[in-house]
Amino acid sequence: MDTQTVKSARTTLRRAPLATAATALTLALALTACGGESLEESGSGSDTDTGSDSTDTDGGDSLVIGSADFTEATITAELYAQILADAGFDTEVQTVRGRELYAPALESGEINIVPEYLATTAEYFNRDENGPDAEPVASSDPEATREALIELVEPRGLTVLDYGDAVNQNAFAVSEQFAEEHGLETLTDLGESGLAVRLAAGEDCVERPFCQPGLERVYDIDITEVDPKGVGTAQTKQSIQNRTNELALVTTTDGTLADFGLVLLEDDQNLQQADNILPVLNTETAENQEVVDILNELTSTLTTDDLVELNRQVDAERVRAVDAAREYLVDKGLIDG
Amino acid sequence: MSASNCLTANAWICGEYLRTRREELIDATLQHVAITGTAVVLAVLLAFPLALLARRYRRLTGTVLTLTTVVYTIPTLAMYALLLPVFGISAAVVVCGLVLYSLTILVRNMLAGLDGVPEDVREAARGMGFGPGRLLFRVELPLALPALMAGVRIATVSAVSLTTVGAIVGNGGLGNLIYSGMDSLFKAQVLTASVLCVVLAVVADVLLLGVQRALTPWVRARDGRGGRRRGGATDPGDGGDAPDGGDGAVTPGGGGGPDPLAKPANDDRPIAAGAPGARQEAGQ
Repeated sequence: MDTQTVKSARTTLRRAPLATAATALTLALALTACGGESLEESGSGSDTDTGSDSTDTDGGDSLVIGSADFTEATITAELYAQILADAGFDTEVQTVRGRELYAPALESGEINIVPEYLATTAEYFNRDENGPDAEPVASSDPEATREALIELVEPRGLTVLDYGDAVNQNAFAVSEQFAEEHGLETLTDLGESGLAVRLAAGEDCVERPFCQPGLERVYDIDITEVDPKGVGTAQTKQSIQNRTNELALVTTTDGTLADFGLVLLEDDQNLQQADNILPVLNTETAENQEVVDILNELTSTLTTDDLVELNRQVDAERVRAVDAAREYLVDKGLIDG
Repeated sequence: MSASNCLTANAWICGEYLRTRREELIDATLQHVAITGTAVVLAVLLAFPLALLARRYRRLTGTVLTLTTVVYTIPTLAMYALLLPVFGISAAVVVCGLVLYSLTILVRNMLAGLDGVPEDVREAARGMGFGPGRLLFRVELPLALPALMAGVRIATVSAVSLTTVGAIVGNGGLGNLIYSGMDSLFKAQVLTASVLCVVLAVVADVLLLGVQRALTPWVRARDGRGGRRRGGATDPGDGGDAPDGGDGAVTPGGGGGPDPLAKPANDDRPIAAGAPGARQEAGQ
């Protein structure tokens, strides 16, 4: 027994590379096996409506609406899903972390429709296509931005529908008290006041042309520090409330600004891009006249104020996004109650 | 749909939340259980042949353990992101990630369990005419069962917690609710889903302990003499008939919250549950 152990230990030393290769191969096989089996099992076990298998087969009747996982995205996705469901489509909402996850799925047809933000999505595809330092294609002009977006995504098999009045732009907010104290109504006022401010915003604010660089260039605002607490997150809004920061990057459709005692400063020199909400479709699997007509009707009905109200219902009153969306659509006569 | 007070007041504990979102909570819990269960079952099915392989060819042991441990060190978020191109946006991403994580624990414990079978017991079985197959399934496996089940319990509890990260692809069970609740500062949702997650882990652990006891009646009979065996306690492993624990086995902690599992040191020594450096991925 002992000699055997010694012998096998020696063998181990000598044949280590071979053993490594063999084990690696085994693990690789294991990985493959795990993939194959788990696909089947999870299909039957966890959720039957994963949809990925049903989308490719018939492009007409089954539609997956993609969504990021913040409140407004889930609401707009629900609006799309329910209005299409009312017209007889079999719809399903697939929520993922963010655009970098759903955009590839939209291109592959795994996801069929996404309610998008015009300028932000144009910049996403611009950077994806032309690298991180690409010249911005989005501007405060929605028509020009839409043209640019179409140019970018048409070759990728995506269709861009019309945009409507509903806009969720980035906006800058201060506390009511701060605005009153210094007589601020617009970002120009803030620049002229010469006040030094700390800005709570997303991590990328320091380089985004519509955030810190834009505030400094267009409005001459003195920003001493950017606090990366996220765009319009509860943490960002709280940091103004407890005076850690003075200026916060939020969105125009935020329904809870008043709850945090925040007021928006008007973007009077049009720094912000045209982030109108519009549907982007996978051309092959989702683009047909009926879908286009239905979504266009919704887009032309939805306004920024509607979004503020829907966001407020979900974020403040804690109405479920699916219920808020249904009530809105019924209210506007877009679907039958 | 009148908004009730504790919902609008954003209370941590809210009966109205439970009432209005019951369906949502049940769906999320079922998804959680399905994902975790599928992953652990698949992992056991995969770990078993790997452990046998590693035992049969001793020179593979170190490499099998090292490779599964290396897989274990991949952050959960990165793991799901890496698997995404393979499976697309689906539960398979999460299940496969969990299977790979569980392998570390399971292979290690199966090996430890099998190694802990006393040589004289094997000799006796061979002497009675047992072939390799019968020896494995009739003698070694039953004796290795406590260590093996300890691994299954840790893998399960760990999988319950890591499933939540699957929310990035919309397949995180209760994690979906935790993440969306965190984004919109929905306290009742975050707390309720987190508590359910802990409850799931504890229930799974207790159930598996029950299974283990049912499968190894002789352990209880023996322990009956020297005081009852408590859940999660490592049996001293007296070299007698039941080598549970033994050297190099992973033993579960006391049931545990969402993150009860310690990362293994980068060697062949055991993972100690509850040791410093516990995996802290989910919050990213």
